[in-house]
Amino acid sequence: MNSPSSSAEEAPDLVCQLDNVQGMVDALTTVRWKRQQDAVMELSEHGVVLIVEETGCLQAKVYLQRELFTRYEYNGQGRPRFGVSLGLFVDCLNTFSVPGQSSILEIRYPGPDMQLLLKSVDSLDACIYAEIRTRIPDTVSWDYNFEPAGSTPLTFTVKSAALKEAIDDLEWPGSSIQINLQPVPPIVTFRGEGHGDLQIDLMYYVNTDLLVAFHCDRQVSYKYKYKFLRATTSNIPGSVIKDNRGSKLTIGRGGLLKVQHLVSVARPSTSHPRIDSAGYQQPSRIAYIEFFVKPEEDEDAANNQ
Amino acid sequence: MKFKAFLTENGVNLLEKRFLPALDKMGKICHLYLNRDHAIFLHNLLNGDGVQSIAQFRKEALFDDYRISSQNEDRIAFAVDISLLHRALRSSVSICTEFGNGPTANRLQIKLVKKLPPNSTQPMPFLTFETKGYKSAVIQDVPISKPMSRAQVLELQTALDMAQDLPQTLVQVPDLNQLQNFVDRMRHVGELLNISISKYGDLHIQISTTLITLGAEFQKLLVLGERADAPSEDLNLSAQTRSARAILRGDAQSVQVSVKHFGKSLQCHLAKPDCAFYGIAPQGACLTVIFQFFIPGSHQMDKSISLHCRLPVLDQGSG
Repeated sequence: MNSPSSSAEEAPDLVCQLDNVQGMVDALTTVRWKRQQDAVMELSEHGVVLIVEETGCLQAKVYLQRELFTRYEYNGQGRPRFGVSLGLFVDCLNTFSVPGQSSILEIRYPGPDMQLLLKSVDSLDACIYAEIRTRIPDTVSWDYNFEPAGSTPLTFTVKSAALKEAIDDLEWPGSSIQINLQPVPPIVTFRGEGHGDLQIDLMYYVNTDLLVAFHCDRQVSYKYKYKFLRATTSNIPGSVIKDNRGSKLTIGRGGLLKVQHLVSVARPSTSHPRIDSAGYQQPSRIAYIEFFVKPEEDEDAANNQ
Repeated sequence: MKFKAFLTENGVNLLEKRFLPALDKMGKICHLYLNRDHAIFLHNLLNGDGVQSIAQFRKEALFDDYRISSQNEDRIAFAVDISLLHRALRSSVSICTEFGNGPTANRLQIKLVKKLPPNSTQPMPFLTFETKGYKSAVIQDVPISKPMSRAQVLELQTALDMAQDLPQTLVQVPDLNQLQNFVDRMRHVGELLNISISKYGDLHIQISTTLITLGAEFQKLLVLGERADAPSEDLNLSAQTRSARAILRGDAQSVQVSVKHFGKSLQCHLAKPDCAFYGIAPQGACLTVIFQFFIPGSHQMDKSISLHCRLPVLDQGSG
């Protein structure tokens, strides 16, 4: 559309195309733990990162690497960042995802008024388009520099469905949840004390289907606010459960908890789970989701220092 | 005032499986207006602000042995709860099929009666469904409003006559289901929908708020009525620019309606129409949707059935 002379200077920071809108909706919905949420989007030659935060205690990032896109043209300087309403963005993306029909979505930034531009490009006679207003992003209120707690990582991988179920069950005691890792015997314990007590033990050697991996060389124990733990699993998309994926939890320095999920953004037609599990899993078509949860500051945290 | 008729098998199918489910989405209460030739279901014709829907059947489409008489030129109208009507019909049908033997054994009679309900001293009007089985008869009474007065019926007839004006240009919506899916999702983004329809066969719908503009454009649709060729210089423009230019040229009209109303009008796909057309009434008075039904097994329009909706315009827009 641009004349050749103007296209060089007017080339947008990003033009990308995606053939699985539902996968992107799933990935972004994972970090949508309440209705009104402001998100920051960061663009680079490697892909798009979306960051949401809450009150300096919880941060979530969605990594959409360039490999997820069928086309990815990046012309930005530095790493352009802009603010957008997550709810509006997800609701809007949702209108592009027609069930039972594959649709190709083009995303472009910035528009003439710094908007985020979306457009369906696969049909000649029907076109869906959107312009979402962006904001100048807020400064990051808290640095979530995640550092390992020691020489060996303190980490375990649990089936996402089991993690979600455990955290859902802990709603009953509520308030704060203690996560305890101990090397001998290798057990992860979730313990809630509030209106009542509830303890959930995940034993590594008893059930390796549930607890897939476990690395811990010393006992640690931290408390986290229930509502923040819940935010990490409350919107795990159905595809994650269906694909029987695992979530990785790591405790870093100072008890900072990192929760990682994998969400498939593969084309629905090519990702028949039965066929794929036998052969090729399309590793490049995965969106990575990371949550960082700050521990509650109390005497237990001090004991671990 | 008398009304008595037998519902035909085709009539039962039309009502039970198609029209009543669709009309139920339009609103709980509707007017049923019967005259010598037609049975008409009307929504919101007398009280202005909702979606008006008009489903008209020639008597042969639903009934045989149709008898009606009243002192008001054999016209009878009353209000009825669509979901009750639907329930009564559904259960009558199940009785018919359960105990039926032979094509003529069970016939579903529908008639207007006045009865004394339990614990009451005042007789009340009902629409009664009567199914005669081999050994038993099942009677279902659907309560209705008091039949409308001569003046009210006249008012209804006048409103009905007023609702017949056709838009100059109508475009055919290719896939109602797809459009409904889209509008259902759009609903989360905003409440007001701008619709523009051009003589080139473009249908452009858009929600615009301070934070977002979200729209869809369908091009090269079948046009009924006034049409024009799309100027070639518009070909590569964005949907928004193209419809703005068409409006300036006088080749398109645009109105604003409620997303909720638009979604309701799309629910009419439950009546399984064979095609649907959208158009804007003269002076942007309303957005009109006309559904067409074919004679089964053909592409000929079935003139004995008609369904159309009129969506109130919230802002006349431009053009």
